[in-house]
Amino acid sequence: MAVLLIAIPLLFAFVSILNKKYAFYLLALVAAFNFVFSFFLEKGMYSIGGFGPFGINLLVDQYALIGLWLLNGLFFLTVMINLKASKKLATVLIVLLAGINGLLLTNDLFNLFVFLEITGISAYLLTTENKKPVSSFNYLVQGTVGSGLYLLGLVILYSMIGTLNMSDVISRIYTIGATPTTLLLPFMLMFIGLGVEAKLLPFNSWVKGVLEKAKPLSGTLVSSVIAGTILLVFGRLLTTVMVISNADMLITIILIATIIAGEVAAFKSTRIREILLFSSIGQAGLVVYLFTHGLLMQGVLLIIANVLSKFVLFTIGASLAEAAGDEVEELRGAFKNNKLLGIGFTVAALSVTGLPLFFGFVVKLNVLLGIFGSYDLITPIIILVVSLIEGVYFIKLLMKLWYGESNVQIKNVLMTVSVLSVAVVLIVLGVYYQPMMDLVAPIKDEMIMIIQGGSF
Amino acid sequence: MIQIASILLVMLGLYGILTNRNIIKIIISLNIFEVGLNLFIVSLAYVEGGIDPILTSHSASSTLSFVDPLPHALVLTAIVIGVGTTALGLAFAKKIYAKYGTYELDEMGVE
Amino acid sequence: MKKFLALLAVIALGVGIIKTLDNNVSFPKYGEAVIESRVSNFYIKKNVTEENSEVLFGGSDYETGSANFVTSIVANYRSFDTLGEVTVLFISAFGVALLLGSKEQKRLELNFKPNFMLQVGSRALFAIIVMVGLYISIHGHLTPGGGFPGGTIIAASVLLLYLSNDKFRTNIRGFRFMQSITGALYVIIGLVGLFVSGFFLENFLGTGIVGNLFSAGIIPIVYIIIGLKVGSDFSIIIDSFLTKEVSK
Repeated sequence: MAVLLIAIPLLFAFVSILNKKYAFYLLALVAAFNFVFSFFLEKGMYSIGGFGPFGINLLVDQYALIGLWLLNGLFFLTVMINLKASKKLATVLIVLLAGINGLLLTNDLFNLFVFLEITGISAYLLTTENKKPVSSFNYLVQGTVGSGLYLLGLVILYSMIGTLNMSDVISRIYTIGATPTTLLLPFMLMFIGLGVEAKLLPFNSWVKGVLEKAKPLSGTLVSSVIAGTILLVFGRLLTTVMVISNADMLITIILIATIIAGEVAAFKSTRIREILLFSSIGQAGLVVYLFTHGLLMQGVLLIIANVLSKFVLFTIGASLAEAAGDEVEELRGAFKNNKLLGIGFTVAALSVTGLPLFFGFVVKLNVLLGIFGSYDLITPIIILVVSLIEGVYFIKLLMKLWYGESNVQIKNVLMTVSVLSVAVVLIVLGVYYQPMMDLVAPIKDEMIMIIQGGSF
Repeated sequence: MIQIASILLVMLGLYGILTNRNIIKIIISLNIFEVGLNLFIVSLAYVEGGIDPILTSHSASSTLSFVDPLPHALVLTAIVIGVGTTALGLAFAKKIYAKYGTYELDEMGVE
Repeated sequence: MKKFLALLAVIALGVGIIKTLDNNVSFPKYGEAVIESRVSNFYIKKNVTEENSEVLFGGSDYETGSANFVTSIVANYRSFDTLGEVTVLFISAFGVALLLGSKEQKRLELNFKPNFMLQVGSRALFAIIVMVGLYISIHGHLTPGGGFPGGTIIAASVLLLYLSNDKFRTNIRGFRFMQSITGALYVIIGLVGLFVSGFFLENFLGTGIVGNLFSAGIIPIVYIIIGLKVGSDFSIIIDSFLTKEVSK
């Protein structure tokens, strides 16, 4: 039944081009359906066509369920908030929804490539609403090269292992005894390919062009929903299939360079959308760093915190920049007239920094607890340095936005309500975090069962 | 031998994407990259002395030695996806020409 | 300087890949692919869910029934990937029409004027090309080819009409309608499989005799749908590129 999450959006996408006026209502209907239906799924392995492990399977476990609930819900909220922009791009948005669900559910490596391309092409088309064709073209070229390198790694892996099913690949790696040295090349190629879309250095020159003048709809979707999906997929591949242990030094250097470069660039910037996009790059590097060091649950928690807070930050930030301009100097005091939006933005910014009482602090605390006892010195240093830099530039930004005189007014009731509710969620999860811990706890055990047994 | 040639095509395409400044040339380099990639995938399927994977009245049984049909199916999908991306790239190129009047990235000024 | 660095990086990557593949123990050399250790062994012997010892041309009631093994993978065992690929083509055609389309359009003028022989000859060729395209598309389970080359050939005939006549413009609404209906039909076939047998896109018709035209369950139907869809997608792309805005 999980296949309905992908099939129904595709059906509606094919039908929606017949009549442009009703396309938006189909979009709202299918987004609501996906969000509600994702709560009724049962865990297990669904075979498409009934061919067992030789066909394509969909895997529903706790990891996929968390991603499905979070991303379908945020997609629905983003579409509802930006009604005017969504009306023109309704078909593209429905296909994007199908692509996101497919990425989270699939258990087959080539199927992942196909859904990566579907999501990628929908993202390129979404960025055309910024009216900057050269940046969208850059995004297209880099995204296609990334997917091509992933495909190259995938087929080299197939000729070595003999199957494309993710669970089968894991069991066959152990039975034929392939060492990490022989498997290094395909896994590095797959890592580079996914890293282009996940904003890692040095493959992320498309991010600045696409997100620096982003409108609320495309900016929020690219930096929050699509980024969350790609990072979750990356996490699943890094923990189960890809056993990269020889290239630790190289990958760690790339990731640390990404984190430091992203945070420093955000520190030096003076435009609100640039600050947010460089912070996204740094956080993406941090998430992949956590996954490669085996901190699976902490990585998932950081993804959840990131997706929620970037949703709030980008929605408000892009609306402000559309109304009054990008430079923070021009936006001084914008929150005095929009107090509720200001409160939401402040909560999300402080959560990213990691102050106590907010969800970000719980995440960082868990990371430090997870490596307690091992002689790993680099990780705590990185966490502390990153929190320090983030604290400085976010507090600078918040001071400028609250104090001053401005006459920017944003009136969008739905946006205020949803942004405030997500902010409230961030505060509640910061204080009363046990339900989130219980939700995330089965992930580690299920992943271990997948690695050892081939399925569960 | 053919695998070395297809990797050479892939690297040629990558070099073209990295160094070209003309939009149409970048799209052509992207196509060369994809052609090399598809050729490499097909070359992984070859079995020495195998025949093409179709049952006909001449090769009537499945116990003969066939080449591997799975990479052929993968390449079918990859070619179509490449065509879709190229069409989108060319549409972007037409829009860029309408907006700036040139195809050279250096003449377009600050973006 | 930048070109030299790029050249160095690309050469390093290429040499690295080739050397690694040469020395690799698990990577089979060219021409020595061992099919028995791969999943394709089960596809060729058609015993994914049944037990067959041998598949004969002219035998009946196998689990796929198509003589072309590549077709049985594309349209039966891995049909979900084909659905994704059809979606990619659909969204590309929609994107091109979104970027380049507008309300009032007229045909782009070409630099040369086609002469009378070209126009008459191309109309005769149009029918032959469409027939070849449909033939390749319908016989996908018996000969190489299938829905994708067949659809491309149908679109090539439309391109021929565009190139040979300056004033020609097809009926875009008809192509949009066909694109949407065929896409929806593919998903509906999958959903019917879901409700009839419990699995999405399962082959719910009988598989017949290997080698006949009317065999292999839903595979010829799926390929005809794909052929029509690819043809209409490409025709919409051709039309978007060969029109321009009406200048006021």
